[in-house]
Amino acid sequence: MPDYQTRLILGVLIPLISFVILALFGPKLGKPKASWVALLAIGLSCLLSTSVLIGWVGKSVPEREALTAAAQNNQYHWSDLGSISLDVGVKLDSLTVIMFFMVTFIAFWIHFFSIGYMAGHSDEVDGTSKYHRFFAYLSLFCFSMLGLVVSSSLLFLFFFWELVGLCSYLLIGFYFDKKYASNAAMKAFITNRVGDLGFIVGLMMVAAFLGTLDLEQAAKNFAAQYAGVTGPNQINIFAADFKLFGFQISGMAVATLMGIGLFCGAMGKSAQFPLHVWLPDAMAGPTPVSALIHAATMVAAGVYLVARIFRLLTPDAQFFIAVIGCITLTITALIAIVQTDIKKVLAYSTLSQLGYMIFGMGVGAWVAALFHLMTHAFFKAMLFLGSGQVIEGCHHEQDMRKMGGLRKKMPVTCWTFFLGVLAIAGFGWPWAIGHTKLGLGGYFSKDEILAVAYDRTFNMGGEHAAADAHTSRSGDWRIANSERDARIDFASLDTDSTFSILNSTFVASADAPPHAEAGGQDAHGGDHATGTKEKLAIASTLRRLPKWMFYLPIIIAYVTPFYMMRAWWMTFCGKPRDHHVYDHAHESKMMFIPLVVLAGGTIFCSYWLFRPMIHDAAKVATNAPAVVAIDGEAHSIDEAADRVMMTLDHHAAVPAHDWLKYYVGFSWLIGMGLAWMIYRNGLETAARIKRAPLFSAAHAALERKLFFDDIYDSVLVGGTVVIAWLSKNFDKYFVDGLVNGAGYATRVAALFSGRWLDMKVRPNDLGLLDWVYNGFIGAGAMNVATAIRRPQNGRIRSYIVFAAGSAAVVLFVILFRDQISSSWQWLTAGLRATAATP
Amino acid sequence: MVGLTHYLVLSGAIFSLGVLTMCIKRNAIGILIGVELVLNAASINFIAFSKYQSGVLTGHIFAVFVILLAAAEAAIAIAIFMNYYTNVQTIDVDRGDTLRG
Repeated sequence: MPDYQTRLILGVLIPLISFVILALFGPKLGKPKASWVALLAIGLSCLLSTSVLIGWVGKSVPEREALTAAAQNNQYHWSDLGSISLDVGVKLDSLTVIMFFMVTFIAFWIHFFSIGYMAGHSDEVDGTSKYHRFFAYLSLFCFSMLGLVVSSSLLFLFFFWELVGLCSYLLIGFYFDKKYASNAAMKAFITNRVGDLGFIVGLMMVAAFLGTLDLEQAAKNFAAQYAGVTGPNQINIFAADFKLFGFQISGMAVATLMGIGLFCGAMGKSAQFPLHVWLPDAMAGPTPVSALIHAATMVAAGVYLVARIFRLLTPDAQFFIAVIGCITLTITALIAIVQTDIKKVLAYSTLSQLGYMIFGMGVGAWVAALFHLMTHAFFKAMLFLGSGQVIEGCHHEQDMRKMGGLRKKMPVTCWTFFLGVLAIAGFGWPWAIGHTKLGLGGYFSKDEILAVAYDRTFNMGGEHAAADAHTSRSGDWRIANSERDARIDFASLDTDSTFSILNSTFVASADAPPHAEAGGQDAHGGDHATGTKEKLAIASTLRRLPKWMFYLPIIIAYVTPFYMMRAWWMTFCGKPRDHHVYDHAHESKMMFIPLVVLAGGTIFCSYWLFRPMIHDAAKVATNAPAVVAIDGEAHSIDEAADRVMMTLDHHAAVPAHDWLKYYVGFSWLIGMGLAWMIYRNGLETAARIKRAPLFSAAHAALERKLFFDDIYDSVLVGGTVVIAWLSKNFDKYFVDGLVNGAGYATRVAALFSGRWLDMKVRPNDLGLLDWVYNGFIGAGAMNVATAIRRPQNGRIRSYIVFAAGSAAVVLFVILFRDQISSSWQWLTAGLRATAATP
Repeated sequence: MVGLTHYLVLSGAIFSLGVLTMCIKRNAIGILIGVELVLNAASINFIAFSKYQSGVLTGHIFAVFVILLAAAEAAIAIAIFMNYYTNVQTIDVDRGDTLRG
């Protein structure tokens, strides 16, 4: 068995091979066979990743660290950029392993589903089948996403990042003969470009200041520069002092800008607030694509990127990220309430959940955000596949107002969808039964993010600390830190999650002793402890989160169950509203197997597999001085008070989870219950509420997606149109005016001179002038023109041939100058000799 | 070991293929692709010479200019093709010989 690194690389390359095969021989393989190639490829990748995962889980922590270090040192040197070495390598750690597994596993089942889905879809444009193309794109997507996950260098991450964007474009525009699909594809691509601009700026700043593009090395250099050590090829970013547009920019601000720049890429790909507009439109693609790319994997790439650059962020950059995430999760959840298209509801709920993840990253909940990413990937893929099943079964009807009562026609879809609704709603029992907690993955992960937000809002920092942080924003942040004691009890920070892998039920047991992990995780070892101390010192100077940043996610935790329950009820329950749709509805077997598998994953995988893996990765990935990383320690009800992350000494220790259950413990029940009350008798109640004065205005605004598209349309598209109009008229009246004016002036002058000649010269004309003009110059010009007219045949290609041929002749003459001159001499000498002989 | 010659041979091959494409393609997009090949061949040359002449970045900068130019040129060329298409209902360049002498 090859080592992990090789297996991961193979796992990345196999889908690429499948893509090449499908691209070259796809049309020959034809309709069912092309899909088998793609399915086989991703299946092999999935097997490889599973084997890696199994091996990795069996390793102890020191062994894992050794493997990570070995992979880090075993990189292929690709090229040099000045003094910066560009290396290709595999970033081998728990996060990579679990992400790789998640992507391949979900992708495999979505490929499987796609075969069933595409079987019932017309895939012809102008008589040519696009069937193989669909699977070729899927394979290419898997290749690029997996490459993104394993990349050890920011540069290669960026390459794969762009490839992923390309695949997204190709797949959104798969029905490119439909106007809306090609428009949506362009919108997605262009919106992503806006974000990528920031990403490139961030990359350049990393290269310029940190002197490397390797993730690990960049983080190390950043930490060293923060401590005041600047290596060769580096510029200390914290000592940077710029003047930009007359503003003095301090080093801390430059470091913040670098982090924000990198985050801009994530804003594009994960569709965060100003750039979120593309994701709902991306639902124009085939439904399996929506499930794979726009719910489970690609959009998560942004969160993954933030997780990887986490150590390059400053507190201000983190705060920015948190604000963006908070805004996104709020507005998109509100818009989701009024959507009537089943896929649009899911799209907006995806946006909202991505907002939660980004918000989690921003408040420092590294573990929780990635945990949420994993659980969300499973249940959102399942929800999307369920919606695909519905759309397929209902003869391409996506409007939920025409559905209803489908429960009897498609029971498996109905109940797996309901499981997804429960998971996203955060179904769980907030009080422990004995020592165990009941809940689906979404419950634990979302709760953990909120718990950290709670800590950041109420437990951490302090009045004077907040004031300090406020004054230190201008750059004295470091000094403020170094003078501050870590007045925080951090002994409990690294307590392990300790959820034994053996607890392979969705009942996560919390009764294991906190430090008794069989793997012997070395939580307090070596430099990590000092890192933690510094980290906490910084954390204490951070300003608290403003209260709205805690309350908004809490409120949205009630909105999420509402709109998901609304979608489920409108689709599957109540009376059928459109008998044409209802009569047609059916369930396809090929398509419900993946649903059941993913439902299993939703229930079982989250707590015993995802969280320990991410928690394990967090030890290294968040060990940096300049960031705040807080481990939420979800639902460790025993010794709750000991597990409070960061509590100032003068504050009473308030265990976040104890409070949180009063805030959101039953949000799933309340939200879903409200939806049930409104929608149980069909749509009349909702329509009545909509007519109420305050609600009607809100509904109108939400239906217009809070005017984002309108604003972008009028400002960006309208602005472009205005500029185009201006330049068109400039061309038409000014440039053309010059040209036409010159022509007109010539004509006037000719007329004038003709008159003058007529009057002055003609009377004395001897005929000579006319003879010279007509006979000599005229005929000569005619002959010359006829001669050079022939090549002027107006065909671009012949011009090119002439140009290229002439260039070749000139080149020949220049190159063989000597030979030509010598042969000329030889020729003339010969001629002279011939002439000399009588 | 890859040396300067290898780069030059590669660039020469790409250049020739580009010129050939421009000469034999009737599709306007095909010609544009040929132009891009030629430009990229030139870029490779610039970079190769710059690489083997230590301490000089002129070639690199030129390559960046070439990329910029190629982007601008593609934008304009495609705009021209659109207009061409609206006028003659095809992008076969042989059909557009109204400028013949």
